[in-house]
Amino acid sequence: MRLRRFAMLVVLVLMLPLTGFAASRPTVTILAFAQGFAWPELFGSTGLERTEKLAELEDRLGVNIEIVWGDESTVRMKALTDLIAHTGRYDILMVGSDGGVQLYGWGGYLEPLDYYLENYPMEWFDPKEVFPKFLDANRMPPGGPLYALPYYSFGAGMIYRADIFERYGLTPPDTVDELFTVLQKLKEGLEKDGLDMYPITMRAAPGEEPSLDLLGFVYAYAGYPAIFEGGAVTIEEIKKTKAKPILNSEDFKKGFTAYVEILREYGPPGASNHTWVDMMNLYAAGKAVILMPSAINGYAAITITEDPAVKKYSRFALAPKGPSGKRIQSFWTFSLGINADSKHKLAAWKVLSYLCGREAIQAFAERTGWPNVPMRSVLYSQNLIDRYGLEQIELNEESIDIAEPYYFPYIPELPDFMDKIGTACSRAVAGEDIDKVLDELQLWALDRMFKAGYYR
Amino acid sequence: MRKTSLWEKDKYRFLIPTVLVCALLVSFPFVYMLYTSTQYWIALRPERSFAGLGNYRSVLLSTEFRQSLLTTVIFVISSVAGSIVLGFALALVLNEKFRGRNVIRALLTIPAIIPPAAAGFTWKFLLNRDVGLIGGFFLPLLGVKRALLGDPGWALFSVILADVWCQTPLMFLILLAGLQAIPMELFDAARIDGAGFGQVLVRIIIPLLKRVLGLAVIIRFIFAFTTFDVIFTMTGGGPGIATQTLPLLGWKTGFLYYDLGQAAALAVVMLLITVFFSSTLVRMVKL
Amino acid sequence: MKLEGRWKLFGIVFLVIYLLFSLVPIAWVVISSFKTHYQTLIMPPKLFFKPTVTAYKNVFLGGMGKVFLNSTKVAVIDIFAAMVFGIPAAYSLARFKSGVTENIGFWLLSLRMAPAFGVVIPVYILMRRFHLLDTTVAVNAAHLLINIPFAVWLLKSYIEEIPVEIEESALVDGATRFQTLVHIILPVSMPMVVTVAILIFIFSWNELFFAFVLTSSEGMTVPVLVASLAGSMTFNWPLLCAISVCSMVPAFVFAFVVQRHIVRGLTLGAIR
Repeated sequence: MRLRRFAMLVVLVLMLPLTGFAASRPTVTILAFAQGFAWPELFGSTGLERTEKLAELEDRLGVNIEIVWGDESTVRMKALTDLIAHTGRYDILMVGSDGGVQLYGWGGYLEPLDYYLENYPMEWFDPKEVFPKFLDANRMPPGGPLYALPYYSFGAGMIYRADIFERYGLTPPDTVDELFTVLQKLKEGLEKDGLDMYPITMRAAPGEEPSLDLLGFVYAYAGYPAIFEGGAVTIEEIKKTKAKPILNSEDFKKGFTAYVEILREYGPPGASNHTWVDMMNLYAAGKAVILMPSAINGYAAITITEDPAVKKYSRFALAPKGPSGKRIQSFWTFSLGINADSKHKLAAWKVLSYLCGREAIQAFAERTGWPNVPMRSVLYSQNLIDRYGLEQIELNEESIDIAEPYYFPYIPELPDFMDKIGTACSRAVAGEDIDKVLDELQLWALDRMFKAGYYR
Repeated sequence: MRKTSLWEKDKYRFLIPTVLVCALLVSFPFVYMLYTSTQYWIALRPERSFAGLGNYRSVLLSTEFRQSLLTTVIFVISSVAGSIVLGFALALVLNEKFRGRNVIRALLTIPAIIPPAAAGFTWKFLLNRDVGLIGGFFLPLLGVKRALLGDPGWALFSVILADVWCQTPLMFLILLAGLQAIPMELFDAARIDGAGFGQVLVRIIIPLLKRVLGLAVIIRFIFAFTTFDVIFTMTGGGPGIATQTLPLLGWKTGFLYYDLGQAAALAVVMLLITVFFSSTLVRMVKL
Repeated sequence: MKLEGRWKLFGIVFLVIYLLFSLVPIAWVVISSFKTHYQTLIMPPKLFFKPTVTAYKNVFLGGMGKVFLNSTKVAVIDIFAAMVFGIPAAYSLARFKSGVTENIGFWLLSLRMAPAFGVVIPVYILMRRFHLLDTTVAVNAAHLLINIPFAVWLLKSYIEEIPVEIEESALVDGATRFQTLVHIILPVSMPMVVTVAILIFIFSWNELFFAFVLTSSEGMTVPVLVASLAGSMTFNWPLLCAISVCSMVPAFVFAFVVQRHIVRGLTLGAIR
């Protein structure tokens, strides 16, 4: 009897620190999209698993981790309702470098991370490992506080079919003039040979999606971000010089027109409704010779295709130079920031630095096979070199080196601009008159900027 | 008269709990929506001021609103008409007794039970000019080589088709239930008179089903007017804004541009439009 | 009613064509769920391919159980709530006609007319006030506002067709109003009650906005999962198809089992 009581006591005493420990563990909740291919090593390929690795991580950090997934549209609603109500229910938010960082960062809804980087360095995240440009993309205003860390990230480029290029005696174009020549030759050749392929696939679905690529064209043609007068990209510059939008100017129009013309002439017929998924599908099915300038979508295609030719002959090349000498851009990071209303900021920082840390990025590269990672060490990991060859990896690094993160304005109105510009692109690709579309776009932009009080 | 007297003491007894619960739930959101619509309020920005009817003016004067309204009208009329006609026809056929009827009835409900977001994505994929079963295989066999979703007119048609596909089963179920209320004796009597099916349809079924039919139209109208998921995943409103209906515009205004004042104003305008049309319909069919 | 002669032929042809239209996309979803993503892209489609169950494996090993449980809970409570609040109201509106009740009736119908994007924020604030966020109660409450209008109106229109004499004899016999409703009106209205139940089940099973905004990790329902996998950031088509198929099975079973009750209430014919 006494022995049993003793045993129970021992068990209880042993359990005490355990329960205390469990109770004091803060819960960090993440709100994100890209369910299934973000952190598959932690949440499985449905995003709902709780893997052993996740449990291990929780123990290691002393934090419970919850993740809430949604598609972009619903995540937006959820994030907004929550930020307005200041509940701090989500500690870590997924924010793209093409709107989220600018809007939430500027509004004070995200916690600046510089302080944490300095005072709470984490062994699994070394900022020096990250390509500086991917960090720059998450500063608002440019050069200002860092609001988010990059997870998977990419620069511009083109994925092309070396076998088809060889067949017609072509080499990857270095300028946009050469690009047009290549496309024309491909079109004629494919037609003559009766090959069921399009010379190129790009995206033009309505909404923000195509803007990332389209504005890259505008930048390459104009030689500067030709969205506001004088290429102003920050709130300060726009206010100081009272820079107006120039969306129907010659400078903007050149790049816009080139993008639209390429799709009308050489792209798939349904491009005005194509998102990155359609770009990827077409290329994976072996129906497109070139995919650009968001080369990451080509990598997505290469890794899912079962078409031997696509698998064997796909190559990466730098995106062509525009008439200005600058190359076409498409630069984006999937970033994570900490909600300024979070009740467990330090715990959130630990989790965040893991989610964007070396281990997680390495796991991403290995699971997806995409070389679109923000860390040099991961880009040059054996796994990726074996897959694509050293020379291709070096080209990928170069595409990041020559990238210009600020090829679009860093203002809180950016999400609206991205959406409107992308939708204008979709309209033009579907056949509407370019001048008419751009005039309407310009009117809207002027109104938007005046309302936002930039020109007072 | 007897009817009323019988009811005198129970007048509202059965109605009050429902009304109370609904009023409790709806009053705050409704007042909040009205209030927001009178504010200049871009979410996540500090400034917020009284706008009077300014938001309504911005909404009603914008060309995008007018274009979306037109798209919505086309969408709603075609989708309502399509699903009611098809649903009614199905209900008539499946009101017959034959073997396998229950299985077919259940099979017909499937398009309604697929999650709308998946339905939109499925149709988008199916209609793809290159990798879709319909757009990339069946249609080319018939000689149609255009990309339906890349063409403004055809994209709207496709979205309507997908919505009719999803919604017809619901109309079918409602009308089938309605048909059960028609006494068999009437059909027998008509048969003895030597009336054909066409005459039975026009003289007996439609008049007797008028209320349920009218109600189905109203419900379907309200649903169609607020449809979001299917269109959003299928075309995102595109190409351009060719398939952008008012709910998509509202979602964009509120959750993409964060202009909550204007979004609320648009919601109120939509509410007024729906209330006006459905009350007219209710009066027309004397529900 | 009997379709005869050319009407019968019309009926058969129409049914066959409609079934094709209706089921080809579904069949394609089911077949795609057994393919790899690449195989779904190949046109013309291969009739013979090596099926893979990877997608289903992911679904079942991927913690989907909780999601289905949530959806079931929401749907069952939705049906229950709509019936409890809907049937008496419908009965009352059908049997007592006056300007006031007609206005109340229309007001109830109008609850469904507010577009979701306009009310989702205040509903969220309201639920937060009552500390109901992240519970299925909040979702049920939001759904009630959407279900009540058409539950009440469909039942009302059906009850109106039932001759009032049946009840009167019962009332004369000393039955209370409630007993009359339960023992006489309800059995006769079964076809519509069942229809409404199916409609509400389908609706609840598929409702996305409120279910997602009002709950977080604990409350995820099937459509939220489907939407996040069908969203613009994802590309695993077979997985989406597999989840859609799994999502359709419970609703299909429910509809199949329940819809056989959509048949004439015997009493009704007897009394007319």
